[in-house]
Amino acid sequence: MEIHVDKDACVGCGLCVKDCPMHVYELQENVSVAVRPNNCMGCLSCHEICPAQALEHRGIYGARRHYIDIKVCEMLRKVI
Amino acid sequence: MSAGYIDEMHEAFHSDLVYRAEDIPLDCSPKPKDLEQTLHGLMKLNGLVIRSLEEIAGRGANAVTYRAGKKFGHEVAQYFQKREDVEGALHELSDLLRGQYSFEVWKPEDKEKFIIEENGETFIYLVFHDCIVRQTLRRNGLDQGGPLCQTLFGYVVGAVEEITGRKAKLEIVHTGPNACLKKLILK
Ligand code: SF4
Ligand code: SF4
Repeated sequence: MEIHVDKDACVGCGLCVKDCPMHVYELQENVSVAVRPNNCMGCLSCHEICPAQALEHRGIYGARRHYIDIKVCEMLRKVI
Repeated sequence: MSAGYIDEMHEAFHSDLVYRAEDIPLDCSPKPKDLEQTLHGLMKLNGLVIRSLEEIAGRGANAVTYRAGKKFGHEVAQYFQKREDVEGALHELSDLLRGQYSFEVWKPEDKEKFIIEENGETFIYLVFHDCIVRQTLRRNGLDQGGPLCQTLFGYVVGAVEEITGRKAKLEIVHTGPNACLKKLILK
């Protein structure tokens, strides 16, 4: 697993450090650093909690999404 | 556990996918027509929840849903080959859950083996990737880890007990939007 933290976007809030159950991140000079990427099991809780959307995971298994509302997506496609 | 099986399992969950925080999913994945098997599982599960509710009404939602899941696990697994080894049981289990749940055995990098012995407990970490319960909860804006998750706990425990004849317990370690970590405790 490769984890990339956008250093310019990260605001150093430390939420990912607190939330990750596998202690993957550490704050170093007010920026989050993925110090144990091999401990990541791909839950993506950190993506959900990061206010700066500063995280990127490579090589992750994307779980099936059954809950997507097709009509809402059709509408979104029109505006995005 | 045999290395070949573990490698095969891990291979199935490895991809070149890049997931960015700002990505907005615009499609059901997979296509709805491929979901028939999943929906059948869900309908069956719901039926058993109702039946169990009638049996033990008033005992609390978790007790009810856990019991329903366990029944489902025993019922489905009774047609599978009985075996004592946990590795084989997990292999059978991943086959019989396919279409509704998918999981892999997992370990933190400081552990040497997948079967971990700690504080007098023997357990295996399981990462659940695809999960109809998680999808249902997120579709309805409900928290993960509540009564509906107990159905999955019961399901896994029921199936492992049915296949191995050993008592088991499943504990939640963490829930996330893309995967959940659970601990299968063997007795
Ligand atoms: S995906 Fe989950 S395990 Fe991986 S770094 Fe994020 S919070 Fe930690
Ligand atoms: S949650 Fe996001 S902004 Fe906060 S420290 Fe982690 S990466 Fe930086």
